[in-house]
Amino acid sequence: MISRLVDDRARSAIAGSIRSRRVDVRGALFRSLLQSALVLTLLILAVLLVSVFTDSWSQISGRLGDFLSGTLRSRSSDGGLGVHQGIYGSLWIGVIVAVLAFPIGIGAAVYLEEYAPRNRFTSFIEVNIRNLAGVPSVVYGLLGLAILVNGDIFGLDRLTGGRSTLSAGITLAVLVLPIVIITSGEAFRAVPNELREGAYGVGATRWEMIRTQVLPYAAPGILTGTLLSMARAVGEAAPLILVGAVTGRLGDNPALLDLGALADRFTALPIVITSWTQQSGRDVGFAAAAAGAIVVLLVFVLIMNSAAIGLRNRFEKKRG
Amino acid sequence: MLPAICVSFLLLASACGSDNGDNETSSSSGSSDASNDGSNSNDEAASVSGNVTISGSSTVEPISIRVAELFEDVAPDVSVTVDGPGTGDGFKLFCEGETDISDASRQIKDTEKASCFENGVDNIVELKVGVDGIAVMTSAANTAVECLSFEQLFALIGPAGEGTKTWGEASPGLPDTPLDVFGPGEESGTFDSFLEIVFEDLAEEQGLEATTRTDYSPSGDDNVILQGIQSSDTSLGWTGFAFAVNAQNVRLIPVDGGDGNCVEPTPDSIASNQYPISRDLWIYVNADKAAANPAVTAYIDFYVTEGLKQAVGEVGYVPLTDAAQAETQGRWNAMETIS
Repeated sequence: MISRLVDDRARSAIAGSIRSRRVDVRGALFRSLLQSALVLTLLILAVLLVSVFTDSWSQISGRLGDFLSGTLRSRSSDGGLGVHQGIYGSLWIGVIVAVLAFPIGIGAAVYLEEYAPRNRFTSFIEVNIRNLAGVPSVVYGLLGLAILVNGDIFGLDRLTGGRSTLSAGITLAVLVLPIVIITSGEAFRAVPNELREGAYGVGATRWEMIRTQVLPYAAPGILTGTLLSMARAVGEAAPLILVGAVTGRLGDNPALLDLGALADRFTALPIVITSWTQQSGRDVGFAAAAAGAIVVLLVFVLIMNSAAIGLRNRFEKKRG
Repeated sequence: MLPAICVSFLLLASACGSDNGDNETSSSSGSSDASNDGSNSNDEAASVSGNVTISGSSTVEPISIRVAELFEDVAPDVSVTVDGPGTGDGFKLFCEGETDISDASRQIKDTEKASCFENGVDNIVELKVGVDGIAVMTSAANTAVECLSFEQLFALIGPAGEGTKTWGEASPGLPDTPLDVFGPGEESGTFDSFLEIVFEDLAEEQGLEATTRTDYSPSGDDNVILQGIQSSDTSLGWTGFAFAVNAQNVRLIPVDGGDGNCVEPTPDSIASNQYPISRDLWIYVNADKAAANPAVTAYIDFYVTEGLKQAVGEVGYVPLTDAAQAETQGRWNAMETIS
């Protein structure tokens, strides 16, 4: 059959190229190009890490304990200088984002993918959610300022305490909500239809099908998406400034698990980094402190990531 | 769903909040040992508790923070929160009644005052707390330059100086010796203050941007600027006065602010505003809030005594003269409000 389609000339050309030991120059070039792209990325990361670690050495080698438990101070030489207030803010902003954005976002995604009819209206909604994911974070900060801090619409400032960790957490939860919906939606879309049909085939209701088949299968994908959105929330500074993060001095230094301070004024690690970087113009020692705060934020995100990766691996094993 | 979660958080919050308050009172008794002069006011301050909220100028911010840090040793139960979004933003919050004290690197404007009065913030005490001075320096070996006017400084360091290699080329009349400029970078408050005081009016007159030339070596570290100035016999640079006055092998150049008088920068000439590159730093206190909140009163009591003496110099500004300190204290004690 094939011999009839391919004429003699083509056959000998193919045979020649298979038998010859020709060096694939272009292929090797392409491969090394790809490798250099990877190396460049890693190199930039390495330069960043090395410079941050060397800059921060005076803070994190000699006085790590004090640095982790200290507060915002007026002078970099102060023994009480540290990032504890920033860790408190970032930790609870992360928790609030997880508590609010994840259930709401995943819920919305389940509805859009599994229940909502496919029509113009739902695709209009999906387009809008994608657009929301691209809105600059400052805009969300303004939203938080108006509704949560100033209480312009529902008087919510009485619940959040105005310029508080709570307001910041809710603002960032709203900020990452579209990202959570989109990434969870993608995860649900990747679930093979055979699984759904199989579940229906053995008499499952839609709810049973989602609970036993779709959610477990999509869980690793959902986790990856929520993880990315969490990292984004913890790294944001601009909306926090609008919601009233403190840059200068925060009177209290609450214990990490002190829920009472959630409705008080707050700061967060990205704000601490920004503030200290600015202050290094007045007092150069703040540059090392800012680098130290960057290291703390990196470790913070790393711990969060490894927790999520651990969870994902557990889900994947279950699925496998 | 959303409000429900907020409510549950808030319930937790308030419950724990009262706990926290108890802890603070119980720990207060043992820590009154760190007072400064052991006077009655400090003993009284030790038993005061409450919150003080300050916002405003980022230039004054470090002073207010430093005072709060010193005050913390005297009155551990007072929680002072300081923020520095800028003088104008600070007054906005102050006039809305959001803050107790507003830091300012200039005096309050009439429009700001009017908006304060409209919102019922009627009783405002205006207190001068320190002076921000900037010194223009050259190498100690450079005796050719006797005095510099604002115009000359703008010509030498401003955008029109871009690319000029000698003093004379940038500003005719000055010696034709190489010009090496060193100064702080954009991230520095000293940089901003210098532009505001020296450049802003001239830039507007000449239709130029109020910024520096871009071909000089900026540094965030005053010591690096100093080394640069020392490294060349015909250097020109500027830093905060409090740093410059202690520097070796440099000469502080007298400056003419436009009235024909060359004034040498000294602590006295700066504190009295005779030296032109200086500006007063202020705090504005909401007197009604101070009357209602003993924490604010105690904090300002401390500010106008220990604060003016110690904190202002520690964060790099020029302390007020004794007479000016006494005037500030007098205004506060008499609760002299502005009208």
